[in-house]
Formats: sequence, structure tokens, C-alpha cells
Amino acid sequence: MLSIQQDVYNIVQAKFLAAEIVKSIHLNVSVVDGPLENNNRILTLVEYNKSFALFVLVSSRVQPISFSDLSIESVIPLDQNFSFETEPVRGQNYVILIIRYKQNRYEFKIEIGKESCNFAAEIIHAKEVSLNSSTNFTWLEKYFGTMNQTNKNSNSSINDQNDFVIIRDGMAQGQASINRESMLKYQLKLREPEFTQKQEFTIFVGTWNVNGQPPTASLKSWLSCVETPPDLYAIGFQEIDLSKEAFIFNDTPREAEWQKSVMDGIHPNAKYRLVALSRLVGMQLAVIVNNQHYQYVKNVSMDTVGTGLLGKMGNKGGVAVRLELHNTSLCFVNCHLAAHVDEFERRNQDYKDINARMNFRRNPQAIKDHEQVYWLGDLNYRITDLTNLQVKTLLQRNEVTTLLRSDQLNQQRERGNVLLDYVEGDIAFHPTYKFDLNSDIYDTSEKARPPAWTDRILWRGKGIHQVHYKSHMELKISDHKPVSALFKSEISVVDQNRYRRVHEDLLKKMDKHENEFLPQVTVDQNEVVFNSVKFREPQSREIIIANTGVVPADFEFINKLNESTYCKDWLRIVPYCGSINPGEKCDVRLEVNLETDLDNIDDILILHLKGGKDMFITVSGSCQKSCFTQSLSTLVRIQVPIMHSKKEDFNSARNNQSPILYSVPRELWLLVDHLYRHGLKTRDLFESSALHEELIRIRDWLDYGSQDPLPGTPQAVAETLVLLLSYIKEPVIPFELQDVCIAAASNFQNCRQLLIQKLNDIHRTTFIYICMFLQELVKHSNDNGYEPKTLASLFGDILLRDQIRNAKPQASRGKANFVYNFLVNDLSSSLIPK
Amino acid sequence: MSTGPYNYSYIFKYIIIGDMGVGKSCLLHQFTEKKFMADCPHTIGVEFGTRIIEVSGQKVKLQIWDTAGQERFRAVTRSYYRGAAGALMVYDITRRSTYNHLSSWLTDTRNLTNSSTVIFLIGNKCDLEGQRDVTYEEASKFAEENGLLFVEASAKTGDNVEEAFLETAKKIYQSIQDGRLDLNAAESGVQHKPSQPGRNNLSNDQQTNRDNCAC
Ligand SMILES: Nc1nc2c(ncn2[C@@H]2O[C@H](COP(=O)(O)OP(=O)(O)OP(=O)(O)O)[C@@H](O)[C@H]2O)c(=O)[nH]1
Ligand SMILES: [Mg+2]
Repeated sequence: MLSIQQDVYNIVQAKFLAAEIVKSIHLNVSVVDGPLENNNRILTLVEYNKSFALFVLVSSRVQPISFSDLSIESVIPLDQNFSFETEPVRGQNYVILIIRYKQNRYEFKIEIGKESCNFAAEIIHAKEVSLNSSTNFTWLEKYFGTMNQTNKNSNSSINDQNDFVIIRDGMAQGQASINRESMLKYQLKLREPEFTQKQEFTIFVGTWNVNGQPPTASLKSWLSCVETPPDLYAIGFQEIDLSKEAFIFNDTPREAEWQKSVMDGIHPNAKYRLVALSRLVGMQLAVIVNNQHYQYVKNVSMDTVGTGLLGKMGNKGGVAVRLELHNTSLCFVNCHLAAHVDEFERRNQDYKDINARMNFRRNPQAIKDHEQVYWLGDLNYRITDLTNLQVKTLLQRNEVTTLLRSDQLNQQRERGNVLLDYVEGDIAFHPTYKFDLNSDIYDTSEKARPPAWTDRILWRGKGIHQVHYKSHMELKISDHKPVSALFKSEISVVDQNRYRRVHEDLLKKMDKHENEFLPQVTVDQNEVVFNSVKFREPQSREIIIANTGVVPADFEFINKLNESTYCKDWLRIVPYCGSINPGEKCDVRLEVNLETDLDNIDDILILHLKGGKDMFITVSGSCQKSCFTQSLSTLVRIQVPIMHSKKEDFNSARNNQSPILYSVPRELWLLVDHLYRHGLKTRDLFESSALHEELIRIRDWLDYGSQDPLPGTPQAVAETLVLLLSYIKEPVIPFELQDVCIAAASNFQNCRQLLIQKLNDIHRTTFIYICMFLQELVKHSNDNGYEPKTLASLFGDILLRDQIRNAKPQASRGKANFVYNFLVNDLSSSLIPK
Repeated sequence: MSTGPYNYSYIFKYIIIGDMGVGKSCLLHQFTEKKFMADCPHTIGVEFGTRIIEVSGQKVKLQIWDTAGQERFRAVTRSYYRGAAGALMVYDITRRSTYNHLSSWLTDTRNLTNSSTVIFLIGNKCDLEGQRDVTYEEASKFAEENGLLFVEASAKTGDNVEEAFLETAKKIYQSIQDGRLDLNAAESGVQHKPSQPGRNNLSNDQQTNRDNCAC
């Protein structure tokens, strides 16, 4: 069960950033009112830089096997708005955990037990820490920044959000690029030899079971037994306090007392500093470092594991400290394993439990994951199969080696039951247990326990060389003698310059990775050229966008600065956005349709890749002139078909500099004249659409001129007439006059007046000319079916066309009314200038 | 844009501008890949490169936009100035015309970025000493008169390339430090990221240790 919790813990941590430390989790939580079996919530307390938050995670599996199985349901910051309480339920083995945050209330069912007590304690502690420091919760922003629809107020920032609690939908977000940091760490470790060199450090390890005695003797003979001051000390005690209080409350004055005597006892020729002190009931472990190395000690962390009463109390078990010295990870474990001669299996089990449950809550988390482990303590293994007398006799003869064969630890290690792959130095000292107090005499009491090497120091890891391993007979206050071991251990020391180089190189490689993961596409052409673009004769070109990257590329043509469209109005892009998978292509059609008077078309398209670069695609082409897009005033000034007019002539016509040659445009006259002769009796003249080619033929006939008769059916010619009137630069009734015309529409005289006073000759003549033609049509309404009303509404929208093309026409009725006046009244010659 | 978990504190946006062929893309490539591209095609668009650097112990992700230098794209590339925290303005020391156009690039930069944008002038191709067309002194004077940082660099040899990018970042970081650059302004070109990694120093840990000890 506990190892399951450890696994889940690791998975939960993976859901967060490395700097966001999961302090505590509670598994199998269900929401009150929810189905009981739905206990798939995991309450998680996370700390980032002294600010805490409670995350409610939902697991998609009974046991999550990856962080992607977890989704964040709610995030609740532990600030002053946070409160919680528990409510017992009579006769049930669970309590209701009630969490309040502002106006929100959450209720969870959690089983009563150690897990829940620990969790509650962690929250209380976290809340205290939060309130005592000015905390910043901006780190939580990202956890709701990615939220979707479920919660509408998710966009507002933390500060102005009155309901801060956030709900996030099912899936795990943004985890694709799992922790760059840990990737970097991993890569750095692989390349460690490149930027480190081994340097020998002396590590002094000591262990002593002090049998509940206070420190009344100096520890110098033990801790300062070496000539040169060690670089690092790891001093472990067992049984510093055997009182009930210590056992129950895990609090003892002896901690400070023993710690002081340690600090007094360590080598006088150097200054030392305590790195960490870990204690559980009577077990205490201090790691102390020579001042000169203090700055190279990093990532210190510790934990304790109780394996005593009920398998968890702290009278037995282990305490551990882990740290990194320069670039080597070290772990020190001080243990006190189960007592009694026959209990060696229990001791083996304690050892396993300590390994399984010791959790440093950071990377690496387990004892075994450290490069060097020093295991010390009262392991409590005894000498078997020999009587007290036999043991003592062998000792008198100094046959330590023979005796060691009967040592349970050696036997169990040989069988692989405990401390597998640990090394122990040769034991040259006599057993350190059990002595009569204040003497060097083995137990003379009634129990007469045979002597045993209970106090041991072992190690695991590369580059560790033991210099000495001995007991210290001078210290007599306990029934155990202290043991010490001095190691020369290879620590990899970072060469800052080389480190920087490797670090930089790795970053660069990872950046490159990052750059590689940017979407990449190529387009087969950056310049799309159209030749001779003609009025309403669409042309298209295809460009091929190929995804040459390793991630799907979402492309979109985007607007240029200060433009409201992604391309000019003569261009259509199909599709203008899309997604292309790696190795695949997308054909994009660029379609030009010219409806205005342009000499050239020119546009720069921005093909944007979401999260990547932008590419420019230039679209260009020259345009062919056409009468359709000219102004009336230009058309009446050019004598020959527009394509034959000389450039200078055309330009001066365009600038209204040349004389007016016609009262209405020649092209208009040609069309209307044709219809006079061939179309007056044609039914639905304006309502059937012609073939595209027909219209193009008529267009070219007008633009180029020809000896041939006007091609096309009357309907096609009628449509061409409508086109011409619709596309000429300025409508026959100019935009700025349309409103007054519409306003005057109810009265013919007013309309007539407007026409005479406001419209210039060219426009007025053209208008009357068209209306006279329409009146002519009305005369043949029996054949063609056109009533004045129909024609008025048809031509109202054309002669008074709107500025915005292709939209629903505005004020059609008013326009029709205006035109109607001129279809049913006599158009006296006074309207037409000579 | 998908940013995964951050392990940098800031994102700085840079733009690289200057006449075509002055070596903008090569400078970017040299900075991100440590390689020189001997025949680099014209940039037709805006290339995007990124690299994470360290400034005063803070990790900063540089988001670099390398713009097309061709005159015909000038109007379009103007849309990319916005929100740049740093602008690298490049000319080619072997082509005087690219130097003469600097004032127009500078005008654009001043008009289209905000006052705190750090502008760094780079005289590129300094490996081609024999073909030099603009003296160091002259450009240096121009930079000084206009309050620009300035180096001569070579995207080919890598000379001063790293320096130009990093100096710019340092300057930006300074502006943040002394409050001249308002992080909250939408167009500061700097984004602050919540996580601050690399803070695993001892003092922090001692803190947490003490908390743990309470149990
Ligand atoms: N000798 C030398 N050649 C260089 C250097 N930097 C760039 N070049 C060359 O100059 C040419 C143009 O370089 P690019 O980086 O493409 O120029 P650019 O400024 O990006 O040009 P655009 O993309 O058109 O704006 C290429 O052929 C490069 O090989 C340099 O420092 N020294
Ligand atoms: Mg380029």
C-alpha cells in the first residue's frame, strides 16, 4: 500500500514543474454526494516558493500509471481566504473534509488513518507558512490559463477574480514538452565526466547507541580521532531518549544536548557547519560539513521512517539525510533495526521498509538512487549459534575472523537478504555490545547477552575508500561503544568553465530541438505572377504548401498591419487556413478576379504558421484595361476602343483633360443600340444569365473593337449592359447624390430638378438615355413582359448602386421609386443638353 | 503558441532588421546554431528562432524574428516591430548603401517600437576587412549620436555575434530591474514566466529543512 502511494506520489509530481513541489497527497478521495466507488480524486498539496495550493486531481484510472491519467479539477490557493475543517461521521471509518474558499465549499470523504492525519497536518502547516510570508500565487495562473469553456471567468487574472477556484476540463494540458529542466539535468548527468573531475573528500561516519544516556562525556576521542579535519561528518545516534514522552511526542531535549556535544567533539582544527539534523524518537543523524565546502552542498533533504511498534512507530526504523556535494549525490542513513537475537528476519524487513518508504520528496527520491550511500547504525544483528562463553573465549584469543562467520549480518548479506551490494570494511575491532555501564566489560548481568557487532557502517557507490573502521572503547557511558569509519570518497567537482561550456552546448542542443519542433513548411513559390489579368475573367494559380517539419503545421493567411483582410479584394485564397501533417501537402488556390480599374495587381500575402515563422508570398500581375471599369467621363473622351487608345490619349481622357467626344459612352451606345434593334421583344431580357464565354466575347468586342457584329444573344448583351453600368467607376447617379434623390422620389418635378441642378452633363445624359431605352422597353411590355415597376426596381439598384459591392442593396425601394419617375413621365428634351 | 512548462523566467522578443544581404539570417543562424551559411537565400518572410540564455542567473528565452530586408517587403515587415524588446539593426561594412539606409531603419524602429526597446547596431561582415566601405569610427559616431549600442561582427567567423545578442538581453534585463521597462505593458516585448528554476541554492533548502524538522 505504501509503495503504491510512493508510485502515485511520483506520478503526481510529474504533473507539476520541478520547482513546484508536491508536499503531500491523499489518495482515494471521493466527493460527498458522489457515488461511493467514485473515489478517484487525489488531493494534492503543492508548494512553490513558500506559496501553497491544494489541487484536486481526478484520476482516469483506479491507479494512475502516468501523469496524463490525471487532470486538474480544481485549484485552491492556501491564502487568507482558505479554511478547512473535518467533520466525523458517526459509525463510519471516514471523515468529511470541508474546504472553504471564499463562497465556495468543497466536501470530500476521506478514510480515517495515518494518511489523512498526515495530510491534514501538512495543510495546517502549509497554511501557517503561507500566512507568515508574503506569498505570490501567480504560479497558479498557468493552471487555469489553459482552461476551456467550463469556467468562463478563467481568463481574468488571479487578483481580480473574485471566485478564484478553478475547474479544468478532463485532459492534461501542455505536458508535451515534459520538463525541460529535468531533461537538462539528465543530459548533464550523462555528460558529467566532461566537466567534472574527481576530488577526494574525507567523510567521517560515526554511530553510537547511547542507551538513553545524556551526553556526560566529551566525544573528542571518537569524533576527533583523525589527524586532519574531515571534510564531512555524518554522526548517528540511537536511543538518545528512551522516555515515553519521546516515543509518543517525538520530542526530546536530548536532541539539542547530543547535537551540542557533537559540535563540541568534532575536529578542532576546522570550522564546521550543520547541514541537516534528522531525528525520529531516539534516532538522530547529523550531517556536518567543513565550512569551506558549505557552499557546495545543495539540495539537502531528509526523511524518517518508523518501523517499530505496529510497523510504523519511531522506536525503530531509520533517519536519513541526502544532499549533493558538488556534483555527487550522497545519502546517509542511520538506522536502528529490530532487537533480539532471533529477530534477524525482522531486521531484514526493517531494512527493506526503510528503503521503500524513505522519500526525499525531490529528485532522486529514494535511497538507492544516490551515487554514494553510507549506511550506519545499530543494525542489531547478533552472533548466532555460539554461547556467551564460546564468544568470549574466541575474543580472548582474538579470533575475530572466526567469530565474524557467525555474525548474522554477514550471513544475511551473503544470502542477499539485506544490504545487498553494500560493502563493509574488515572488522578488526571487538563487538561493541553489550558492556556493563562505565566499563569495558561485556555484559555480566543475569541476561548475560553474548557480545555482538550491532553497530556497523557500510557503504555503496563508486570511488569510496575506507581509511579506518574502528570502535572507541574510551566512551563508556552506554552499553554500546561508538564506531567510526573514515572514508576517502571521490566527489565529482565541477569545473565551472567546462560546466558552462557543456551546459551551454546542451541548452543549444535543446534549443535546437525546440527549433526543430517549430512547425516548418515550404511553399513551392514565393512569387505568384499572373499575366494579363482581365476584367471578370478569373485566373487561378496553385501553390503547394508542404510540411517539412516534424509537427503538424497550422497555417493561416493573416492580415498585414492596419489591414482588415488578409488579401486584396481581387484575390481569393482557398483554403486560407488549414492544418498539414508532417510529410503532407496542401494545395492552395489563389484566384484573381479583377473588377476594378487597376494597371497592376500587387499584394504580399503573409502565410503564418501557428507558433512558427511567417512566409511572404508576392502576388503580382499586369492588368488589361477595360471599358467596364472606367468612369463615364473617361469613356466619353476616348474615340477608339480602349485597347487601341494610345497611352497618352487614354491618360488625358482619364484625367478629364481631353475633349468630350460623345454625349454617352460609345460602348453604352453600342449595347443599347443593339438591344433597340434586337432585344426589345425578348422575354426576360435582363433575367437570364449568359454564358461566361459569351460575356467575355462581348467584353473583348467592346474593348478591342471589331468589324464583326456584336456577338452574343440579346440576353447576353443586356447582361453586359447591366455589368457595364454596375462596374463603371462612379454609378450613373453618384454616391453622394443618392440620398437626396431617394428623398425626392415621391415627386417627379423635384427629381427632375435635382437631375438638372446637381448632375453633370455626362451623368445626366447617360441617365436619361438609359431611362428612354427603358421606356422603349415598356412600350413592348406585351412581348418582353416588363412593367415600369419591374424595370424601375431592377435598374434602381444599378443606376444608384451602393458603394459596397456584393452586399444586400440598401434602400432599394427608394431607388426604385426615384427611377420609376423617369419611366412613366415624359422626358422632355429640356433634360438633354444639345 | 504552445509553451510547455517553462524553465525560464522571461521571454524577450528581438527583431533583426536592415537592408537585404547584410547578413541578418546568418547572424541569427550563427547565434542559434553556431554555424555559418555560405549561401543563404534571401529571407522572404520572417524567420523565427529561439534560444535560451542566462542573464544574471535568470533564464531568458529569446524569441528572435529575422525579417526580410528587401525593400519591397518593407511595408509588411513593419508589422513585426511591435512588441520587440530588442532590435538588432544590421548593415554590411562592405556596402556603404546599407549603412546609408540606417537612418530610415532607425526611424522605423523608433516609430514602431516603444521607448524602452534596446537598439543594437551591428556592422556585419567585419571579416572582409579588405572590402571595408564604412569605417568603424564613422559608424561608432553614428551609434553614439543616436544612443545605440554598437559592435562590428562577423556572422562568418562568429566574432561578436554572441556578444551582440547577449548584451542586448543584459540591457533589457537592466531596464526591467530599474523599472524602466513596464512588464505589464502589452508591447514591452518581455513576458515574465512564473517559474524561477535554478534557485536550488542552500539557503532555500535550509529554509525547507527547518520546516521539515518540525515533524
Ligand atoms: N564574408 C561574410 N559573408 C557574410 C557574412 N554574413 C553574411 N554573409 C553572406 O552574405 C549573404 C547574405 O546574408 P543573409 O544572412 O542572407 O542576409 P540577410 O540580411 O538575411 O538578407 P535578406 O534575408 O535578403 O534580408 C550570404 O551569402 C552570406 O553568406 C559575414 O559575416 N561575412
Ligand atoms: Mg535573411
